[in-house]
Amino acid sequence: MRNVNDRSRDIGAFVPAEDDELLICRCEEITKGEIRRAVHDGMFTLTEIRRYLRTGMGLCQGQTCSKLVKEIAARELGIVLAELEHAASRVPMRPIEMKVFGNEKEPGKNA
Amino acid sequence: MKRYDLIVVGAGPAGLSAAVEAAKYGLKVVVFDENANPGGQLFKQVHKFFGSKEHKAKIRGFRIGSQLLEEANQFGVEVILNATVAGLFQDKEVTVRINDSIQHYKGDAILIATGAAENMVPFKGWTLPGVIGAGAAQTMMNLHGIVPGQKILMLGSGNVGLVVSYQLLQAGCEVVALVDAASKIGGYGVHAAKLARTGVPFYLSHTIIKAEGTDCVTGVTIGEVNKAWQVIPGTEKHFDVDSICMAVGLSPMAQLLKMAGCVMEDNPKKGGQVPVCNAYGETSIRGVFAAGDVSGVEEASSAMIEGRIAGIAAAEYLGYIDKVTLSDKVGELESALNSLRQGMFALENRGKCIEKTEEGYDVSLHLLQKGYFQEQEVANYPGVTVQRGVHAVIECSQNIPCNPCQDACPKHCIKIGERITSLPVVDENAGCSGCGMCVAACSGQAIFLVNEDYENGYASVTLPYEFLPLPEKGERGWALDRSGSKVCTAEVVKVQTSPAFDCTNLLTIKVPVAMAMKARFFREGSCHAECE
Amino acid sequence: MHKFADVVIVGGGIIGAAAAYYLALQGVNVVVLEKSDNIGDGGSSRNGGGVRQSGRDPRELPLVMYGVQHIWPTLSEELDMDIEYVQEGNLRLGKTEQHLTILQGLTKRSVELGLDVRMIDAKEAKEICPYLSDEVIGASWCPTDGHANPLLATLAFYRKARELGAQFITGETVLAIKKIKGKARQVITENAVYEGATIIVAAGYDSRKILESVGIDVPMTQIMLEALVTEAQPKMFGQMLGTAMADFYGHQSKHGSFVFGGSSGFEDTNKDNGTPITASITAPCICRGIMEYFPLLEDVKIVRTWSGWADISADKIPVISPVEEVPGLIVACGFSGHGFGIAPTAGLLVSQLARGVKPELDLTAFRYDRFKAKI
Repeated sequence: MRNVNDRSRDIGAFVPAEDDELLICRCEEITKGEIRRAVHDGMFTLTEIRRYLRTGMGLCQGQTCSKLVKEIAARELGIVLAELEHAASRVPMRPIEMKVFGNEKEPGKNA
Repeated sequence: MKRYDLIVVGAGPAGLSAAVEAAKYGLKVVVFDENANPGGQLFKQVHKFFGSKEHKAKIRGFRIGSQLLEEANQFGVEVILNATVAGLFQDKEVTVRINDSIQHYKGDAILIATGAAENMVPFKGWTLPGVIGAGAAQTMMNLHGIVPGQKILMLGSGNVGLVVSYQLLQAGCEVVALVDAASKIGGYGVHAAKLARTGVPFYLSHTIIKAEGTDCVTGVTIGEVNKAWQVIPGTEKHFDVDSICMAVGLSPMAQLLKMAGCVMEDNPKKGGQVPVCNAYGETSIRGVFAAGDVSGVEEASSAMIEGRIAGIAAAEYLGYIDKVTLSDKVGELESALNSLRQGMFALENRGKCIEKTEEGYDVSLHLLQKGYFQEQEVANYPGVTVQRGVHAVIECSQNIPCNPCQDACPKHCIKIGERITSLPVVDENAGCSGCGMCVAACSGQAIFLVNEDYENGYASVTLPYEFLPLPEKGERGWALDRSGSKVCTAEVVKVQTSPAFDCTNLLTIKVPVAMAMKARFFREGSCHAECE
Repeated sequence: MHKFADVVIVGGGIIGAAAAYYLALQGVNVVVLEKSDNIGDGGSSRNGGGVRQSGRDPRELPLVMYGVQHIWPTLSEELDMDIEYVQEGNLRLGKTEQHLTILQGLTKRSVELGLDVRMIDAKEAKEICPYLSDEVIGASWCPTDGHANPLLATLAFYRKARELGAQFITGETVLAIKKIKGKARQVITENAVYEGATIIVAAGYDSRKILESVGIDVPMTQIMLEALVTEAQPKMFGQMLGTAMADFYGHQSKHGSFVFGGSSGFEDTNKDNGTPITASITAPCICRGIMEYFPLLEDVKIVRTWSGWADISADKIPVISPVEEVPGLIVACGFSGHGFGIAPTAGLLVSQLARGVKPELDLTAFRYDRFKAKI
């Protein structure tokens, strides 16, 4: 989704809200206010928000919070949800211990 | 490198159905599932499915799960459990964590059937212990035999919220309220009705303001919302609860497809980010398929058909069958799928305000806002007739693809016809024998046997009853109306249990004849002069 | 649409963002064009975060030493954002005599250029980092090396530059540069024309294609490197780590997670599917490499792996250079997999070139026209 995205466009000022302290990313304990503020700092994509705040970088890798972060960011930017590209998904699908990840075995020989 | 014709990720309804179908055509199939038990969401589904016979209607979900597993074994499908697929790489390779090792596999075709995960709604206090997803509560109850709490508020009036609320009641919990910010119930009217008649109050157009408690949930406050979703001051209501269940939708878990580079789309009607697929479930990567909730949140019945379609498509892709066979077989399955996707809850109708049924009957707004009919509305529907002697009264008012009642009646009293979304019509002349098969067969528990000529001044009402302990013949208690309010005293005159009813017991109560069209549920309890 | 600025920067990674920042500080009007949807989507967010002087090509040493002495220590304060710069040294580990020989060679060259790096024995290595395997027999140790958070550093430069008035536009793919009356003036994208007296191309490997339009080539290839990230752990050590054989390198972040880069040996031939995607054999290999030196980490869970393309120049150091034959053009690319440590310095130098000010450091070694045939 390569839409031209001018980061200097006016998205309005950051207005503090009553629910800014609400936790959104539970794994990394990031609040709604932090996410909204990040948008005003210039983080206009979910990937940038993630790299900036760590939302979605915890153990669940965004399974709980991605949708919520997306809604908050879209509202702050004044755009529809479909205009925000999801952040990337990567291996491993579930956390794996280093010793297991490094223990490659032939199928059929379960360690 | 260990190679299979088809690697299936996820042993839920879609994955197993696909594996079985492909194996039938001779493919060498392996199914990986990260859980200790296969079946995905099927094994939690203790309620009876809708649809028609080909969709396994009136069969409880977990039995369907067992059937699929048996078939998988029968056709030589390898099902490897406790196996987490860590990634889907280039060249159709997967790595799988099995016990303490990582193993590499390649498939000539890959099917991702990893399902969907529950959404959350953040509100003040949502991180307190006691706030859980409705699906999680269902897993606790139905798989592990643990209740999530004793006093529960359910957020969400879609089918998951309605069905899980009912199951919480069956497990002995108290559901203090069912809340939804929408103005109308999102799930089937019949699911709401069977809940409402037990006395669970519905609060549509309400939202959770906050959950209270220090170490865990001890209470919750809800409030009514206006059209701008803001809480109207003064409408706050407080409940003492120890659990809040959220049934606010599911989002596909399509991460494997995304990491592999499939073209994705953001489709709110499908639940979120899904792979773009063709009619066979094939993604933008040739030979990589998706089926079930991961490609669009629906239900287990459609997941099973989508799985079968993908299995057949994989068979054709790998040269096990020809294009003509593919076309024929998939054609049959597609019409089965389409018939499931008809009616008021079809994808294209989601979000629409429907005021009349296909036949032209009024949709009951009261049902959609409060969870139950007003008495005078019931008579409008073709399943509700006035007759001498015992006859079925079918309080079914929505076009949902479902027809087990038609097949259940040995006297052919009930007619739906070719179009399975049609409302059931009760034939006034057909001669009901009072066997009760229809009552037990209705997955929505919307059929009652009413006999206004039971005794002088008394009528009998036979209702479906799925709670334990079962009342006993002779027991006295209260008859509740559709809203769960006591309307009169009642005596249990018959309790029927039969393998054919599959755990839907038939409870016949005797009530004053004036209550025949009011009494719809029974609660034991002593009656004093306060009654009526 | 035709937009004018003093300087047009092609490439929204850390080099482009840092250059934009230093220019905006001086009141220069800047537009930064980034092809992808995200600022810093290339090497800037796909590196190990090392701010190291040791083990570098001697030609880069002045740049990184300048950064370590003058920029990195106060960068968080300057950019108003914690970029997690930690200066607790760099241990490059060896388990065999052959490893030690390699490390000694690297050390000697650096010492000759004035860097405080030295060889230490197993005992001293373990004193610095008690979590090492007993099989480590020695290491090179550079106490002034360190690491930072590349994601935050890139976004910090971006944020500050934007605040100071630099205009960043993502989703803008540059097709060509156009000379007007003998000078590089216009940057043509799919949607618009951006025009300025100075054009900086800092677009990683993509720079090559863009520079074709003005007859310039920077000889580069790409290799794909991978990294893995663990769950948060209690703080174990703050050193940057590496090995003589480059099995892995990495550090423990402020958050507590370990970030380790590494390789499978197939970096030259790794492929992707349109976006950088990890290979199935690399992460397991990196894990085994790590566990040989840090057996204590075997139970730590990996939560993420990622990969990225490094733009490797023909002689493995970047081009940071004005292009006199295309007046107005400045090139900064080819950072060859070790750009992060010198990025702020490079950004500063590029901004000085753009302003026509004499660069702080001598950039002769980084000229665009240095690539000569072997005979």
